[in-house]
This record gives sequence, structure tokens and C-alpha cells, in this order.
Amino acid sequence: MDQKTTKQKAVHSILYWGLPVLAVVLIAVGWISFSAFNPELMPSPAQVWERLVKTFTKPIAKTTLFGHAWASLRRVLLALLVSWVFGIAFGILIGWNKKARAFFGSIFEVIRPIPPIAWIPIVIMWFGIGEFPKILLVFIGTFVPLVINTSTGIEMVDRINIQVGQIFGGKNRQILKEIVIPTALPSIFAGIRTSVSSGWTTVLAAEMLGANAGLGSLVTRGWQGSDLSLVMVSVITIAIIGALLSTILQKLEKVVCPWNN
Amino acid sequence: MNKDKQNLEDQLQLWRQNKKKENLKYVLLSAAGILSVLVIWQLAVVLGLVNERLLPAPTRILNTLIFKINNKAPDGNMLGVNIMASLQVALSGFLAAIVIGVPLGLLMGWWTYADRFIRPIFELIRPVPPIAWIPLVVVWMGVGLKAKALIIFFTAFVPCVINSYTGIKLTSQTLIDVSRTFGAPNYEIFWKVGVPSSLPMVFAGIRVALGNSWSTLVAAEMLAASAGLGYMIQIGRTVARPDIVIVGMVVIGAIGAFLSMLLSRAEKYFLRWKINR
Amino acid sequence: MPNEDTRPIKVEVKNLTKKFGDLLVLDDMSFHIRKGEFVCVVGPTGCGKSTFLNCLTRIHMPTSGDLYIDGVPADPKKHNISFVFQEPSALPWLTVEDNIAYGLKIKKLPKEEIKKRVDQILDLMGLQEFRKSYPGELSVSAEQRIIIGRSFAMQPDLLLMDEPYGQMDVKMRFYLEDEVIRLWKELGSTVIFITHNIEEAVYLAEKVMILTNKPAKIKEEVKIELPRPRDITDPKFIEYRNYITDKIKWW
Repeated sequence: MDQKTTKQKAVHSILYWGLPVLAVVLIAVGWISFSAFNPELMPSPAQVWERLVKTFTKPIAKTTLFGHAWASLRRVLLALLVSWVFGIAFGILIGWNKKARAFFGSIFEVIRPIPPIAWIPIVIMWFGIGEFPKILLVFIGTFVPLVINTSTGIEMVDRINIQVGQIFGGKNRQILKEIVIPTALPSIFAGIRTSVSSGWTTVLAAEMLGANAGLGSLVTRGWQGSDLSLVMVSVITIAIIGALLSTILQKLEKVVCPWNN
Repeated sequence: MNKDKQNLEDQLQLWRQNKKKENLKYVLLSAAGILSVLVIWQLAVVLGLVNERLLPAPTRILNTLIFKINNKAPDGNMLGVNIMASLQVALSGFLAAIVIGVPLGLLMGWWTYADRFIRPIFELIRPVPPIAWIPLVVVWMGVGLKAKALIIFFTAFVPCVINSYTGIKLTSQTLIDVSRTFGAPNYEIFWKVGVPSSLPMVFAGIRVALGNSWSTLVAAEMLAASAGLGYMIQIGRTVARPDIVIVGMVVIGAIGAFLSMLLSRAEKYFLRWKINR
Repeated sequence: MPNEDTRPIKVEVKNLTKKFGDLLVLDDMSFHIRKGEFVCVVGPTGCGKSTFLNCLTRIHMPTSGDLYIDGVPADPKKHNISFVFQEPSALPWLTVEDNIAYGLKIKKLPKEEIKKRVDQILDLMGLQEFRKSYPGELSVSAEQRIIIGRSFAMQPDLLLMDEPYGQMDVKMRFYLEDEVIRLWKELGSTVIFITHNIEEAVYLAEKVMILTNKPAKIKEEVKIELPRPRDITDPKFIEYRNYITDKIKWW
């Protein structure tokens, strides 16, 4: 089981590196042939590339692709900042204080199962389709996972760690600050990660349902104008930015919580 | 000796009673929380502090809810029909995602070659936010049940695969070694050790998938449907009926919570062996 | 105990050598073990006792050397080898009785035979009332007993135990040691038992194998000729114990 013959090692190498390449090739071939046979359903990779270039030369709604991407990102980031502050604070409150958990937690539990996207119509009715309602929606979408993860993280802190703090004569607030919060940090970070991906999808939904700028609006525009290449360009951009955000957070987590493995 | 025993039993009784009182206190607090929100809300509308045409009173919302149970206006379906339509789409996509996604994740986690081959395809699907699939799928397949179920499938599929994969990768090497010394072949170890050991994470993935499914369903129905709760909310908006919208939101939340509770029940059964030490 | 051991040879190890890269861990070990013998292996900490056992179970393959069971090269698929690890290795999702039956099911024994053996083990160990419980509901020592029951249920050609009682308190240890002797007598298994506790080794073993420091060689084999049940306060017991302790301290 430990030793492999040279031949076995060679076969293993070929499969190990070859299989993913094969998969990628199959995807590419699949795309090209699908678009060749059904040009109205799916643009070819070449067409998508062309469309991408065109967004720079002929901006849509007076903004380039980067402009739209930034519009989306900005909304998310603004909402996230507010959401992080309030969400983590609220999460710590209901995680730490049993009475608060009973009183506010119940209200939260009623709001929680409503998907952020379901808030879109009522928010549009109240605030229209400007910047504020979008940021509000992203806030709603990101607030919930933050609170859940933070409060769970705080609740789960081992009683032992708390008792150690008490033995050393720590006051409640001190224990909270120096023992409980650092222990809950990985959970809080998990909440931050979820909030970012949730925020990214919420902003998209909000934009798809009513906006002039932003990647979601590009998707809708392409869809309604039968400009599938534009839809593809937007979707791919959305995916890339989403993946980048996720990777950045992973790197950040390693720095903030290096002990977490 | 007996006196000490009696003393202990008395103390135990006292502790139990105190615990009950404490629990009751928390239950009352919870109820108080919700009630105060409702009362403040109702008062705000009645006293004219809030525009009734933007935010109807809780009593109005309750009326509309009862009204909708038997009435098709304004979206063309009774409440029950909308609920059924939504559930049908969501559950078919969700169940398909579990049936395909969980085994796929488990296989990818256990057999390196499966992982190497499927991974690129999976990594292509994963970063796309589910809602972005909607236009593509609608163009390819229209707005029927199959199309919407496919969209739900995409969003539920990803967490199922990821969690199953992670779950089985965490299988205890000790347990694998035990099975090997008994002479079990690889596939038997997969089935008898890998799969059961990954169940907790699989359930966590299914839970996320459920949340995603229900959420994406609402989006899909708002963008492309003629029935369902998301559709109902959208219509409520276009005819300026916030009470319909809120009724829709509440029902969506309630059903989501209900499905989540069902999942918890199933989880309790399948994971009944799991005790956190 | 006969002075001349006439039991057939069950396990034969010839020139067992194990290297991890350039690090020589096991150095040309040769020995044999008779059928139904209870052998304890002792040695300084870190000398390679666990690696030694892992080679016997084929979890690691030796760099060179042969291992024969009943005259045939050892193979977990053919032979019945049971291993008790240091950490409890019960499958948490199986009940106690299913755990005990685990190895038997892998060997595909007939149902009635499995039921018979499981019942026998449960009786021998006094675990009948827990048969439907899950390992997570029981204490760590109970879990380890289940593992030992599982191993004995296999009626193995070779039963290997790697410091199974390392984490138990003293009172529990005595109880478990008596239990393992009882099981061994009843079922006639061949046992190799690794421990760093010399008293435990002298209490349990018919023969104690003393290993040297890395690279491990067999320093000496000491036959323990004491009647059972053994008395740890008996002067002869203490003599054996001191002798072996000295042999290890010497390194």
C-alpha cells in the first residue's frame, strides 16, 4: 500500500493532471457546439468576447462595465459596513444576555425566515428604486447571517473558558471582551463570509428588479433586449467578482484567525 | 443518613421549580417582544403616524390573509394555489439537488480521480449567484416548471456538494484503519465508514440548500411566473396593495420556517447517535 | 503452565525492518508467537512500538522482512487480525451490539453465528443492558471495552492491542486487565499487547518482549511464570517487574 511501482506512479500522474484538463476541454467543446447549433439560445465564446470589448467602446447607460461593476460593489460595501457594525453588536447582545435573547430574539426569529429577496417589492413600494432602497435591501440580506453566526459563536463559548476568567477575578464585561469575543471570532468571521456572498446575491436581485446601473441591471437589459451576449458578459463578471471576494475573505481569515483549522 | 437524603431531594425539587420559573420568565419575555412590536405597529397606523397606504395595520393584514384563502384577486390565484405552486417548484429542484449533489460530493471526496474530473465543472457553476441563472435558463427553457426547478437545482446543488465533500474528507483515519485491518475493501469502507461519518455535514449542507432554494424560488417567481408566492408579491406591488405584499412575505417566512423544522426533525432522527461531548 | 511450550507457532516474524525515508525505526526483528499465547511488548517511549504493531497489521508495509500467520504470508483479507487502538475507535453511529458485530459483518459470517458471538461477548463483559445504546452515551472506558469486545468477537488469529488502557484510571485498569485475561482464557486468542506500564505487562503476559530504543531491536524475551490470578504484591512479581524496569532504564 505504501510503495507503488513506477508504472503505477506514471498512470496516476497522467490521470491526476489529465482529468481536469479533459473536463475543461469538454466544457469548451460543449459551449462551442451548443452555441453553433443554437445561436439564438447561446452566444459563442467569440461573440461573448466581442460583446465584452464593446461595453468599453459603447458604454451602456453612459457607464462602462467597470462602472457598473463598481456601482454594484459600492452598494454592497456600504451596506456591509453598516450591517457589520449593527449585526455583530446585536449578535453579541443576544448571544450574551439571556433576557435580551428572549425579548429581541423572538422578534428576530419571526423576521429571519423571510428571504431578503422577498423584501424587494415592499422596499420598492416604500422607497422607490434609487440607491438607498438597494443599500437597505443588502443590509437586510447581510444583517441576518451576521446576527445568527455571531450569537451562536458567543453562545457556544465553552463555559470552562468563562469560568477560568471568573476565577481570575474578571468582571463580566472584561470576560466578554477578552475571552468570549476572541473565542467566538471564527464564528463571527464565518458570519462575515456568509454576509458578503449573501450581500452580493441580494444586490444582484435588487438590481435585476429595478435599476439603471449595476451588473444586475445589465443582465436585465440584455435579457429584455435579447442581447444574450450581454447577459453572458454580465454573468461572467458577476461570477468572477464573487469568486474574488470569497478568496480575499479566505486570505483575511487566515490572518485574523490563524489558529482556526 | 435518611435525613441527608431527604434534604438532597428537597433541594433537587427546589432547583427544578426554580428552573421552571426561569423558563416561564423567558417564554413570557419572548411573547412580550413580539406583542410589543405588533402593538406599536397597530398604534402607529391607527394614530396616523404611518401612512396606511404604505404600511397597513396588522389587523388589516390579518383580514387580507383570510380573504386570500378563498379569493383569487388580485393576482388570479387563491392563496392555497400559490402555496402549492411555490412548493412544487422549490421541492422538486431541492430534492433533485440532494439526490444528485450529495452522492456526487461524497464520491468526489473519496475518490481522487472523480474529484479531479468533476471539479472544474463544479467550479464553473459555483461562483455564479443563483439568481443570475434565471435569465439564461428562462431563455433556454421558458418559464415552465422544469425551467424554474432547474434554477432551484443550481442553487441547492452547490452547498450539497461542498458539504458532502468536506464531510467525507473529515472521516477519521482511525476508523478507516480499523476497517482495513478487518479486511474491508475500499468501497465497503466508503459505504460503512465514510458515508455515515459525513452525515452531520451533509445535513448542514442540506439545510443551507433549503434556505437557498426557498429564497431563489421567490426571486424566480418574481421575475418569471404566473403563479406562486413570489408572483403574488410582485402583483401586489404593481397594484399598490402593500397588504398583499406583506401577507405574501409572512406566508413565505412561515412556510420557510416550517420546512426548516421538518428538516430538523429528520436530522434528529438520522443523527440520533451524535452526542457532543 | 507446561515447562515445555508445545503449542503450535501461530505468528512468525523474520527480519522485520522498517524505514521512514532514511530513518531506521525497526531493525531486523525476528521472533515467533505461539497459538493462544499472551505476549506483552514493552520499551522506552518512542522506540517504535506503535510502528511495530502497524507493520503487523499491514497498515504500514515493512521495508523488508516477512510476517507469517499459520505459515502463510499475512493478509488482512485472508487472516483474522484485530487491532485495538489507543484512541477509542467505536463507530459512533452504530449501537453497542452493532459495533461488536462490525468486524464479523465485514468478514461476512452467517447471521446466526454473528448473533451467537455478539451475545457471548455481551455476556462475558456484562454489557447486555447496554446493547442498544450508542457509544456517545457511554463513558470513554466503556467505549474502549466495546472495542475490546469487538476484537475478541472476531476470534482472531492475532489480536493486537496498542496501550488500550493508557487513558484509564488505576481502578478501571485493574478491572479491565482482569476482563481481558478472562476473555483471553475463554476464547483462546493469540494476543500481542503493547504497554509502557511494566506492572501491567507483568500482570498480563506469559512472555514479555523488551524492545530497545530507536532503532528498535528485540532486547530480550522474558517468560513470566506466575500462577493466575497474579498478585502484584507477591515478591516474585516484584522481582520480575524490577528486572524488566532495569532493562529498560539501562538505555
